[in-house]
Amino acid sequence: MVIQDFGISFIELFLDPRKRIYLGYLLCAFAIALFWLKFFKKLSIAQAFSKIFDKKVFFSTSSKSDLKVYFINRMFTFFISPLLLTQIIVATFLFNQLLKIEWLSPASGYAVSKSFVVITYTSTVFLLDDFTKYIVHRWMHKFPILWALHKVHHTAEQLTPITIFRTHPLEGIVFSLRSAFTQGLAISFFFYFFGSSVSLVTVLGANVLVFAFNVCGSNLRHSHIGIQYWSWLEYILISPAQHQLHHSIAEEHYDKNFGATLAVWDWVFGSLHHSIDTDSLVLGVKTEDVNDHQSIYSLYILPIVDMGEAMKEFLWTIVNFRLKITQKVKRRDNA
Amino acid sequence: MSYLPRKLTAPMAVASLLGALSLADITSADGHAMSTYGPFPVTLKGYTGSKTNSVSYTGQIARHVLHDSIKKLAGKGDGGGNAASMEAEMMAYYAGSKKNKAIIAPADKGVFNFKQETLNEISSGKNLSGKTYKGMINGWPGQMTGPEVITSMIKHAAQTKGGFDPSTGYNYPQLISKFTMGAVSYNQAVNNYLAGKLAADSKPNSKPYKDGVHYTGKEHSWDEAFGYWGAAAHSLNLTSKQNYDIAKMKDLDAADANGDGMVDLKSEYNFGHAYYGSAFDKGGKTNYFNTITKAFIDGRMVITNAAGENLSDAERAELVALAGVIGENWQKIIAEAVFKYAGSVYKDINALKEEMAAGTDTAKTFAKYGKHWGELKGFALALQTGNTNLGETAVRLNRLTGFGPVTMNASQVTGMDSQGNYIKDEAKSWEEYQLHMLKIQKLMIEQFGVAAQNNNQLDQMSALADQMGDSDSAEND
Repeated sequence: MVIQDFGISFIELFLDPRKRIYLGYLLCAFAIALFWLKFFKKLSIAQAFSKIFDKKVFFSTSSKSDLKVYFINRMFTFFISPLLLTQIIVATFLFNQLLKIEWLSPASGYAVSKSFVVITYTSTVFLLDDFTKYIVHRWMHKFPILWALHKVHHTAEQLTPITIFRTHPLEGIVFSLRSAFTQGLAISFFFYFFGSSVSLVTVLGANVLVFAFNVCGSNLRHSHIGIQYWSWLEYILISPAQHQLHHSIAEEHYDKNFGATLAVWDWVFGSLHHSIDTDSLVLGVKTEDVNDHQSIYSLYILPIVDMGEAMKEFLWTIVNFRLKITQKVKRRDNA
Repeated sequence: MSYLPRKLTAPMAVASLLGALSLADITSADGHAMSTYGPFPVTLKGYTGSKTNSVSYTGQIARHVLHDSIKKLAGKGDGGGNAASMEAEMMAYYAGSKKNKAIIAPADKGVFNFKQETLNEISSGKNLSGKTYKGMINGWPGQMTGPEVITSMIKHAAQTKGGFDPSTGYNYPQLISKFTMGAVSYNQAVNNYLAGKLAADSKPNSKPYKDGVHYTGKEHSWDEAFGYWGAAAHSLNLTSKQNYDIAKMKDLDAADANGDGMVDLKSEYNFGHAYYGSAFDKGGKTNYFNTITKAFIDGRMVITNAAGENLSDAERAELVALAGVIGENWQKIIAEAVFKYAGSVYKDINALKEEMAAGTDTAKTFAKYGKHWGELKGFALALQTGNTNLGETAVRLNRLTGFGPVTMNASQVTGMDSQGNYIKDEAKSWEEYQLHMLKIQKLMIEQFGVAAQNNNQLDQMSALADQMGDSDSAEND
């Protein structure tokens, strides 16, 4: 029964416009890919079809693992989800804190119109969400403890839209907390200052800006279609090819292009890399000790082992640092 | 102010629970559990008269009718022309009159016909002024006592057109009604009949309430408290919706317990806070009406079962526990009303802002806002006339509500001069005032544990969260 439910919920992902792999967005991605291959890569329609629906990609061991991870994660989510912090808990907590601040009061309603509030709220939610995604993604790469988890996503050797689900469950908890915090922050502050004027501009239930991002081919980020934007645009928006470069095994591409939608964060914080022809890219993670990145052990157990190792190393660094300080102080005292 | 010490609340709650659990044992003289408030037998020792029912609370019903009638009259002013006569007429109902006054409200509605048409058919010589809360009303300008506040409101109401003063935003029918319900009924019940009169040396059960009557001291004290509560005697056998519809004069069959085709105001109608209790309960989240009414019936059974003897300490403890249940739930009903109308005021301000932005006429919405604010303020003041010293909660409630609503010219009543005229000053912004309404709702949840939570505006954050969708997605962008 539960397994059946999981199957249904997987199908529902394709029918919910608030989800990345909504059928409509996939069709948009397909149309963009077709357009790109036909007019920029000069392929015939048949060749383009064959390229887009490449069996080697969709039926690869890596892609099958993506699906495997999705279903196993659903079981984790089933048990963990009710325990997670939700955006309404964060929003209520923050709103109550704001109510306690005696000197703080909302702006005069005469100054701003409802449409201004709605547009500002919609944009803020989108920008705050995209920025915190950038920050958390960066941490995922920079901190060994978090990289141990995020590596699971990067062990994908072929990218398909389903690769977004290739996430370690513990990493999923981190993402969930980020989302709850970000949304709670936006809801509480806007509700405090603008009350019931606050509302999101939505299309088919999704934030209009997220909808636009998805219509513009967000699913091509995790695909083998290396669409590149004009150079100037890649300072503002992350192109599919830029994200595919983020998955590259080459050392010169490490820690580049963390952005989800906007490239400006990468540009500002120095992690931007313009796209290259992705045909030459090898995707995945270079490691010496693990041959099979697609096994259950590598996908679920090894990240926890690696996390433990990273934690041990971190603690040793602290201990060593303290020892060094103590020795220095002793030497100074003796001198 | 409080006869029942606050520290006794927890033991009282436990005792009340025990009392409720032992309810099944409390039966009428013929061995049946009671579900109606009366009739109860005459237990007075030495009574030789012909009366067979010791229940009597017609004085309280008369006061509910006085209240309902004043509320109706407060909306009859023509803007000043009939001020003197309107004030005199309202005062006749408030302070009492030698004449047998007509019942102005509740009045017949369609097939819903009342048995009585004049006050003396219920009880003669009754007034509200003598029973109004005598303490200082800090939430109203002028540093006045309860009777002074009502008298002042009546005076101002007589000057208005239809009871509403656009310059202050005051809706007098609502202000007078909601405050009076608290200052008279709630106050008399919880501060007097369910407090001091439960003491062993006050109105003993072995003596008549007063010379010449057929009921005992304790029987009548308890009956009077029940009368102030306002529920129909048979109401425990009805659903919340039926009880609500009785007060709205929509369900004659439910009201007409004796099947005579008429509604007897003395026992078949739901007045005052009982009506509000049923209104909240019909939402399904609370059970105030039945809890209170059942506690009254249970208490009356305890007294009846004492068979005209003085109550033992255990019996009195049981009554005190039941009085605790009644007081606590009654207070919650008033807090629920404060919560509800704070939400209404919040929504009305939204509507006003939209009209202001569109440049359309705001008069109708402003009047509606004033009506809701009057209800909010009236209930907020009523909440402070009970047996619990609300302390900081009262201060916060009064400050958040203010002396008056924010008006269209951005002013607000801030005080009263020596002539009894309102002083106005610059008001808070609409947004800040709306935030005050949210704070009031939060205060009612935190301090009184209101559960019905009608018109919950804090829920809007949940709606915003729903708009965002799930936050537990484990996806890698």
